[in-house]
Amino acid sequence: MSQQFEPNIVAFLCNWCSYAGADLAGTSRVRYPANLQAIRVMCSGRVNPLYVMNALQQGADGVLISGCHPGDCHYMEGNFHARRRLGMLKELLEFVGVDPRRFHMSWVSASEGHKWKEVVEKTVEDARAAGPFEGFRRRRIDW
Amino acid sequence: MDLDKLRKTAAEVVSRDDVKYLIGWRPGSYGYRVAPGFVEEASAAETLIFSPLCTINLATYLTLTEKLPLPRGSAPDQRKVALMVKGCDSRAVLQLLVEKGIRRDQVLLIGCPCPGVVDTALLSLKYPETESPADLKWNGDHFLLRQDGQETAIPRLSVLAEKCRLCRYPNPVISDITLGEPVEAQLTAEDSAVAEVEAMELGARAAYWEEWFSRCLRCYACRNSCPLCYCRDCVLDRLNPTWVNRAVNFSENTAFHVARAFHLVGRCIECGECERVCPANIPLGRLNRKLAREVREQYGHEPGIDPDGKPFQAGFKPDDPEEFIL
Repeated sequence: MSQQFEPNIVAFLCNWCSYAGADLAGTSRVRYPANLQAIRVMCSGRVNPLYVMNALQQGADGVLISGCHPGDCHYMEGNFHARRRLGMLKELLEFVGVDPRRFHMSWVSASEGHKWKEVVEKTVEDARAAGPFEGFRRRRIDW
Repeated sequence: MDLDKLRKTAAEVVSRDDVKYLIGWRPGSYGYRVAPGFVEEASAAETLIFSPLCTINLATYLTLTEKLPLPRGSAPDQRKVALMVKGCDSRAVLQLLVEKGIRRDQVLLIGCPCPGVVDTALLSLKYPETESPADLKWNGDHFLLRQDGQETAIPRLSVLAEKCRLCRYPNPVISDITLGEPVEAQLTAEDSAVAEVEAMELGARAAYWEEWFSRCLRCYACRNSCPLCYCRDCVLDRLNPTWVNRAVNFSENTAFHVARAFHLVGRCIECGECERVCPANIPLGRLNRKLAREVREQYGHEPGIDPDGKPFQAGFKPDDPEEFIL
């Protein structure tokens, strides 16, 4: 039991920048923690705040949402909308008692493999520090 | 507020050709209760009242109207609905207009400047409710309660609703006919309830909300009474995809309350209806007011004020705050 706690992170990556950035990190053999479950979405603006809630309910210890840099969005303004919405979601989650270290958002472009590594390291480190998420996780009842 | 004038105006409005009916307040069946009154004929306007007991936000009824399919060949009824609004209610109507939930030519607003309504639950706790109908009046820094032939003066602040203690817009921000004189905004308290929750440690805050959310019955009264929750197809009702499971437990309740509060980000006009109707007394107003404050402070946006404004979540500014982004 001396093993370190390994957090589960759910990452929502935008198809055009962050997913490609993560891909670049992979092809350039950059090592980064493997605690991440990447979910490709077409745009960070597509991430419904209820996705985040659902991820946390179903056992994620942290959530990362990553998209293009402001102004670089493939759909012109999707990430601006995401920034506004998810910023407020972060406030709300913190207010209902979710550790702010469990929720991160980042801008990673397709050429930033090394930034991606840093972002993942920071996310995993924070989620590890926050510990297993027990809050409003869905509990299975064994009948 | 002159009741005769109110009733006369209401009767006049209802007799107009372009008005379908008027929604106002009328005494409820007992004690402090006040019910919404749907007035279709001028003679029925005699039942209308406006008193500190009129807590109901009538703007909800604008979007609750059932739209039955029309018989072939008949034209839809284009007449207006007249609505009596307090300051907070008028903001709800304005926000509905901004969101294009209703059209301006569909409503006729009768504005009632409001010096603050009572918290009925608090009132009946301190001054037990009896069967006979009661009458409450504004009188400076007191409410005058008349019931069973007795008259009692109640200190204003002891029974004033929480939303009214924080009220910044007591006068209707939009109205076609205004009754009575405008009242002065009297912010009598800072939002200490939100600050109290914010001051807690993270774990204590989680425990605080766990206690409240676990009590939730999922009756959806907060959603149904909210003037701004009017989607025909609500995510909370959907089964495919099931955004929020229907099980009543802490996990799903939290998802429900976060979803509800989130859908009101930048739209909530702080009328306090959700909190008032909650059978479990969950302090939902705190969630809404916290988010409303963040929207106001971080983004400088206030819903239900600017008729030419844009809905908060439907827009953005290139220089929106992004300190939280890695």
